[in-house]
Amino acid sequence: MSARAAQQPVLWPAFAATGAIACFAYLFLRVEAQWEVAALAVGAVLALLAFGRTRLGAAVGAAWSVRPVPLAWGALLAASVVVALFAEDHFALLLIATVLLYGLACLGLTIQFGYAGVVNFSGAAFFGVGGYTAAVLATHTALPHPLVLAAGGVLAGAIGSLLVLPLLRTRGHYAALITIAFAILFKTFLEVNDALGGPQGLKVPGMRMLGWSFNDNIPLGEQTELSFYLSYAVFSLLLLAGALLLMRRLERSWLGLSLDAVRIDETAAAVFGFEVARWKILAFTLGNVLAGVAGAAYAMMTGFVAPASFTFAESLIMVSIVILGGLGNPVGVLAAAALVLVLPEKLQVIQEYRFLLFSGFVILVLLFRPEGLLPRTLRQYLPGWGRA
Amino acid sequence: MDLSLLGQYVLNGLMLGTIYAMVAVGFTLFFGVLDVIKFSHGDVLMVGAFTGLVAYLGLSALGVQSNALLTLGVMLSAVLLIALLGAALARWLVLPLRGAPPINLLLITLMAGTVLREAIRLFYPAGANPKPFPRLLPADSVSFGALTLRFDSAILIALGLASIVAVHLLVTRTRLGLAIRAVAQDSETAQVVGMNFQRIVLVTFAIGSALAALAGVTAGLYYNEINFGMGLLLGVIGFSAAVVGGLGNLYGAILGGFLFAGLQTLGAVWFAVPAYKDVFAFAVVILVMTWRPTGLIAEQSAERV
Amino acid sequence: MSETATLLRCEGLSVRFGGLTALNRLDLRLRDGEILGLIGPNGSGKTTFFNALTGLYRAAGGRTWFAGAEITGLRPQAIYDAGIARTFQRSRLCLPLSVFDNLMIGNHRRLSLGLWFNLCRRSRFAQELQRHVERARALLAAFHPRLPERMFEPAGALGMIDRRRVEVCRALISEPRLLLLDEPSAGMTHDETRELMDDILAARERLPGLSIILIEHEMGVIERVSERCVVLNFGEKICEGPFAAVVADPQVQEAYLGSSS
Repeated sequence: MSARAAQQPVLWPAFAATGAIACFAYLFLRVEAQWEVAALAVGAVLALLAFGRTRLGAAVGAAWSVRPVPLAWGALLAASVVVALFAEDHFALLLIATVLLYGLACLGLTIQFGYAGVVNFSGAAFFGVGGYTAAVLATHTALPHPLVLAAGGVLAGAIGSLLVLPLLRTRGHYAALITIAFAILFKTFLEVNDALGGPQGLKVPGMRMLGWSFNDNIPLGEQTELSFYLSYAVFSLLLLAGALLLMRRLERSWLGLSLDAVRIDETAAAVFGFEVARWKILAFTLGNVLAGVAGAAYAMMTGFVAPASFTFAESLIMVSIVILGGLGNPVGVLAAAALVLVLPEKLQVIQEYRFLLFSGFVILVLLFRPEGLLPRTLRQYLPGWGRA
Repeated sequence: MDLSLLGQYVLNGLMLGTIYAMVAVGFTLFFGVLDVIKFSHGDVLMVGAFTGLVAYLGLSALGVQSNALLTLGVMLSAVLLIALLGAALARWLVLPLRGAPPINLLLITLMAGTVLREAIRLFYPAGANPKPFPRLLPADSVSFGALTLRFDSAILIALGLASIVAVHLLVTRTRLGLAIRAVAQDSETAQVVGMNFQRIVLVTFAIGSALAALAGVTAGLYYNEINFGMGLLLGVIGFSAAVVGGLGNLYGAILGGFLFAGLQTLGAVWFAVPAYKDVFAFAVVILVMTWRPTGLIAEQSAERV
Repeated sequence: MSETATLLRCEGLSVRFGGLTALNRLDLRLRDGEILGLIGPNGSGKTTFFNALTGLYRAAGGRTWFAGAEITGLRPQAIYDAGIARTFQRSRLCLPLSVFDNLMIGNHRRLSLGLWFNLCRRSRFAQELQRHVERARALLAAFHPRLPERMFEPAGALGMIDRRRVEVCRALISEPRLLLLDEPSAGMTHDETRELMDDILAARERLPGLSIILIEHEMGVIERVSERCVVLNFGEKICEGPFAAVVADPQVQEAYLGSSS
């Protein structure tokens, strides 16, 4: 990005972009006619592809770099409005919350892979660790649910640390094999273990926080009742916002620099004093913690966990989302997650074929646009920096 | 435990080991030549099995009765058609991505495998259900005291080992094999010296895939059943075997294949719940990788600093 | 040479790859503040020596001392902390990252890497960032006045010469005591090479006590810049001394040109 932007960039293009995305999200979730859904999806992809390359895109990026605070509040407000508009719609809210929580897990994978270069083919397994932790703790203990979520994250991080030693000692394909083996191992382990419910899985109680039960519909006056998924959607939004803030701080610091150095050239990084192991461990663990927290919340929302939800295929989808979105770009990853998760639900005709179509699409992307939907931009350490 | 049960386990293990070794050899060939892990390999195997099934159905419909002829037809069609499939995958998906980061190659082949798997599941009649595979080999068995040896097992194991030996001889004793090894050692120099890099790559992938197809048909003939999902696990196991033995090393692949089968057999014997055998085997693979990061027989490459 | 003036001492350093001996019992001494030229035909072990010195290759034999302390077998990170920095024969900049980021990679020793500091103490971080930006700017400006303008562009956008300059700056920014330069002039014209070496020497003026080991194929550079030379051939030291003496040595001539018999 050239350092030729004005001293104080105009903010309105960025606000407009946020508004456009919010409108799109609302429409996409609202429309039913199949051709409308397809048209919206294609339009979104084209817009995203163009966005990353045009001056408008650069202007929006510059605005977010220099004045993030008002823009962030604007984005949060827009997201809240969209959620509120669907306040009585179970299905839409469930979808929104699913995208937010899977997106959170994929952000964890982005830290591992996009920042530190550690490929994780068992992302769904760590998502599942969080889910099963929630199942066990919420059912059998009186641990407050915020702590249950934290425990899901901690346990995911802890189990991930079992893989750290082999991961550090291996490179490339060999490292990939470690996480693939773990993904398959995990699912099989769950299936044969009756203590964890076997193939049937376990039931998970709904979330309760500060006396507020997430699983009850919310009465509004005499006539209306808001969907209970509203609580989950709002909560997921807050979780995701927190994660995005964390990732932004992480990337725009010496920590992000260290992760990038380790990813791009491990040998050069070592020669200049970087403790490669430390950074890989940090990224891998942090990513798994995020996936675990997301998995715990998701389990409490859906009410059950079962091995069939945490297969190698699911992990593959997460890795694909991370690559499709644009490696290392959180916004791109969220956009990709939204498309990948929502499109099959809305476009009924492709439901059956979604794995086939999705895999084919990823192949095309890898052949013709490997940098993904939104390429990653240069590091801007602080708002207003990047001027020589 | 009694001898016959043990013998049964051992024979089963040998059969599995042969199949795994055939898949692992394919992986090692691809890696040696192009530094690529073709994750679609397992699913290519599965398509090979289905191709064989279709060939059988076709030949039977044409009136062919002889089991020997049917077996021959099934194997030949699977081997030839899947060789073409492997070469096509190399030509259209793998070669174009030569300069890309290795993770892209890994992913594109994973996706290709998914496409193959889903295509069979969706487009083969009732593809989601397991399909019976004909019993074409003599079903009788011979008893050595307490041990029973099935004839079809013996034939299949012999065939599998023979095919591995054939590939080994091809790679070590023929001019084509020399070309393959030259490209595997140093593809740039090989091209400079005038070898047709692309052709050699395609041929290598064809050979590896043909071997996988044979493995698929073998699995079908042995278990008398195939299903669209059989490739995924077999592919990962084959890859594990190749890695444990040391990628790029033919002997390592064979060793790894039988080692993994041995681990599974051990796991099945030890653990009360037979399903734990996979957990056990994969856990051991992770441990081996920790101890020897480049496989039991070390990989012969070094990064230029 | 008195002990206190010796910065680097290698005794019997050997490096083996399987059956191949890349470095065979090398003895080498470098005085504090000296510029040493390391020359020899291709494959004679020069880069191998750098790699062994910086801990990338494990020595099969021999010992090494730096600034009085033994550094044999230390990891690359420890070697860097001891004050040895290097460039690579094949340029190893992080091309997707900005020029500034690349310099900061070389500046690892001076970066505060605590989690709390980076995530929460943002105003302190801004101050540290500002200090480093100024230092980076000053260093880049010493090599080319227009270079600081491009500090926040991706390193991949720079031409080859500028990338070389950035790579040297990356090695210099941590103010090392010993700088290892591996063929810095490869691919440059005579003028560009002279300019680069002038800048490096000027930087050395500002960093009192900076010693340099320079691998070069261009003899003009070695002649002008180095005080002493070591010649390697097939992993062994075959000659040592001032450039003029080394160039006249019959063994050296045979190594480069082949024997006349």
